[in-house]
Amino acid sequence: MNERKLDFLFKPRSIAVVGASDVPGKLSTIIMDSLVDSGFKGSIYPVNPKHQTVRSLKCYPSIEEIEDGVDLAVFAVPAPLTPGLLKRANGKLKGAIIVSGGFGEMDEAGRGLEGELKEIVKNGGPRIIGPNCMGIYDSISKVDTFFLSRERIKRPKRGSISILTQSGSFASTAMDELAAEGIGVARLISYGNRVDVNESDCLDFLAGDRATKAVLLYIEAIDEGRRFIESASRCAAKKTVMAVKVGRHAEGALAAMSHTGAISGRYEIYKAAFKKAGVIELEGYEEFIDGCRAFTMQEMAKGPRVLIITDGGGIGVAIADACMDSDLCVESLTEEKKQALKAIFPPYYTIGNPMDLTGSVNDELFAEALEKSMEGSEFDMAIVAALWGPPNLTDRLPGLLAEKAERIGKPVLICTPGGKYTRRKKKLFEKRKLPVFSSPESAARAASVLAGKKGVKR
Amino acid sequence: MCLDVDKKSIDKFVGEAKGQGFRTLIEPEVKIILKASEIPVPKFKVVKDMAEAVEEAEHIGYPVVLKVISHDILHKSEAGGVITNLKDMKDIESAWSEMLFNVADNVPTASIEGFLVEEMAPPGIEVIVGGLRDEQFGPAVMFGIGGVAVELLKDTSFRLAPVEKKEALEMMTEVKGYRLLTGLRGAEPRDIDAVSDVIVKLSRILDSADGVKELEINPLVVYEKGVVAVDARAILA
Repeated sequence: MNERKLDFLFKPRSIAVVGASDVPGKLSTIIMDSLVDSGFKGSIYPVNPKHQTVRSLKCYPSIEEIEDGVDLAVFAVPAPLTPGLLKRANGKLKGAIIVSGGFGEMDEAGRGLEGELKEIVKNGGPRIIGPNCMGIYDSISKVDTFFLSRERIKRPKRGSISILTQSGSFASTAMDELAAEGIGVARLISYGNRVDVNESDCLDFLAGDRATKAVLLYIEAIDEGRRFIESASRCAAKKTVMAVKVGRHAEGALAAMSHTGAISGRYEIYKAAFKKAGVIELEGYEEFIDGCRAFTMQEMAKGPRVLIITDGGGIGVAIADACMDSDLCVESLTEEKKQALKAIFPPYYTIGNPMDLTGSVNDELFAEALEKSMEGSEFDMAIVAALWGPPNLTDRLPGLLAEKAERIGKPVLICTPGGKYTRRKKKLFEKRKLPVFSSPESAARAASVLAGKKGVKR
Repeated sequence: MCLDVDKKSIDKFVGEAKGQGFRTLIEPEVKIILKASEIPVPKFKVVKDMAEAVEEAEHIGYPVVLKVISHDILHKSEAGGVITNLKDMKDIESAWSEMLFNVADNVPTASIEGFLVEEMAPPGIEVIVGGLRDEQFGPAVMFGIGGVAVELLKDTSFRLAPVEKKEALEMMTEVKGYRLLTGLRGAEPRDIDAVSDVIVKLSRILDSADGVKELEINPLVVYEKGVVAVDARAILA
C-alpha cells in the first residue's frame, strides 16, 4: 500500500476521464457531463486517442501524456483493457475509480483481472475505488463520477451526512430520494467490488473529515472484519456512525452453525460487530431515509424519553404506540409538572403524555406548551403532532415552534399526517430545520435513530 | 475471578484430536478445559467397563448420569447415548446395556472411546453459552435461554470476544427469556452474576484458543446460587 490517506480521492486537484467522448449515452460522456455540470473547480482531462477535443476540452491520447499527472482518473473502458492502462499510467496517477463492470462479479476471467488490479496497488500503483461501482459524489469538492444523468437521478444539496455503500443502485436511489426530500449529503461513495479501497479506508478518511457529521453505511458484506471494527470505532468516537445491513436472511439460512440451530449465522455476528464498534444499526431503507431526515436537521438525543404533544388525541395515542414499538419511553409527567401546567393552560387540555391541546389550540399556546412541558430533564426529545384541521393554527406555527425548540436544546420532530393542505405546510417546518414525518411510525423510527436505537426492550 | 485460560491443555487436546483426524473434542476434554478456567462442571470420571462405572459412581455418589464418549457422536441424547438419574448399581447395569443397544442401532459406525459417569446436576433453569470463530470478525460469544426455545425462537444474543463483565450482563438482558432468570411470577431470582462469569470466561477461551472453531455449553444449569456446565462440546478449526 502506498498512501493510506485518501485526500486525493475526495479533494482532487485534477481528474482525467479515460475513454471520454462526445457520443451521447456513453458512460464516459455522462461522467464528463456530471463533472462539468457539478461545478468541479479543478482541471478536467478527457483521455481518448480517438479524439482531439471532448466537450471543447483538449483530449489527451493517454494519461502519460498529461504533463503534470492527475490526482484522480475515472476509467470507463472495457474491463480487459483496464489493468494495462493503469500500469502504463503508473507514476502519473494517485487514484483511480473504475466504474466498468465485467470483473469479479461476472466470471473467472473477471476475477483474474481483479487479481491484476490488486497487484498494481500492491506494487505501489494508484489506489483504486471499484471496479463495478459508481465512484464518488461529493457535494464539497464537487466531484461527481456517477454515470447517471441528472435528469433521471438528482444530486442532493450540500449537507453533513456521508454515505458509504458497495451497491451502485443503492447509492443512486438514495441520492435521488434524498435530493427530492431536500436532505443534503457531504460525500457519497459507492465502492463496488473493492479490490482496494474498502469501507474501513473510507471510515478512516471520514473520521477526520470536518465536512462529515454523520456516516451511514449500507452493507452487504464487510471486508477485513477486525479492521472494520477498529476504523468504525475510531470514527464512532468522533461522530455518529449508522449502518443498514442487507442480506440478513440469506446469511442466516446459509451459514447456520453446524451443531445448534439456535445460532443462526452471520447476521448475528454483524450485529455484535456493530455493537462493539459503537455503530447504530438501522432496520432497512425507511429507517435509513427517516434517520437521514431527522439527523440532518436535529442533533442526537441524550436518551430514549419522548414527550408527545398534539392537537388531536387519537394521533397522539398512535404516536405513543409507535414509540413504544420502537423501544422508546413514553413516561407520564411528574405530578409537580402536571400541576404547574394545569395552572397555565385551559382546563380542557389533557395534561399528560401524550399532551392533548385539543382543536381549540392556537399557534402561541402550542409553542408555549412545547416549551413549558419540555423544561427540566424529564424528556430527551419531543414529537409534535400538528394537525391542520383545527381553525386557529396559522403559518406562524412552524416559526414559533422552531424558536422554542432552539431554546429547549433538545430534538423536536414534527408529525403531520394529512392531505393536500397539510403537505403544503411541510416546507414551512423544514425551512425552520424541523424535520417532518407523515406517519406516527416514521416519526417514531426517526426518534429512535436520534436516541441511537438504545431504547428499552419490552 | 480467575481469568486464566489453560492454553497448553487446549492446544494438547486439539493437536491430539487433529492428529487422529477428528474434527471435535470429546466431552471430558471440553470439561477439563472449562474446569481449568474455573467454569463449574459436575464431578465426572471416564470409564471403560461396567465394573469401573459402578466403582466410580459409588465414589461420586448417586444419582449419576451415564454418557457415551465418541468423536463420531455430537448429539449424544439423540443417539440414545445419555441416560440420567441412575440411583444404584442395578440402574447402572441396565442403563449400560440399554445404551450399547441404542448406540449400535442409531450410530452403528461410531467408534466408542469410553463412557462418562457423572454427578447428576439438580434441575434448574437451562441456558446456553456458546461461541464461534467467524472468518471475518474472529471469535464471538452467544447467550441464549436453553431447551427447545433456543432452536424454536432463536432467542439469543451475540458479542465479539473477549467480553467484559458489563457486556456479558448486557447481552443477557437482550434475550426475551431473560426474565426467567430474574424471578418470574414470584420465583426466586437466579445467579445472573455466575452466568455472566461463564460468558466472560468462555469468551476468553475462544479468544486465546485458535484451534477451536465452536464451543458450546448446553445446557448451563442456573441455580439460585451458582451454575453448572452439564454438557459441552467443541468443534475444531
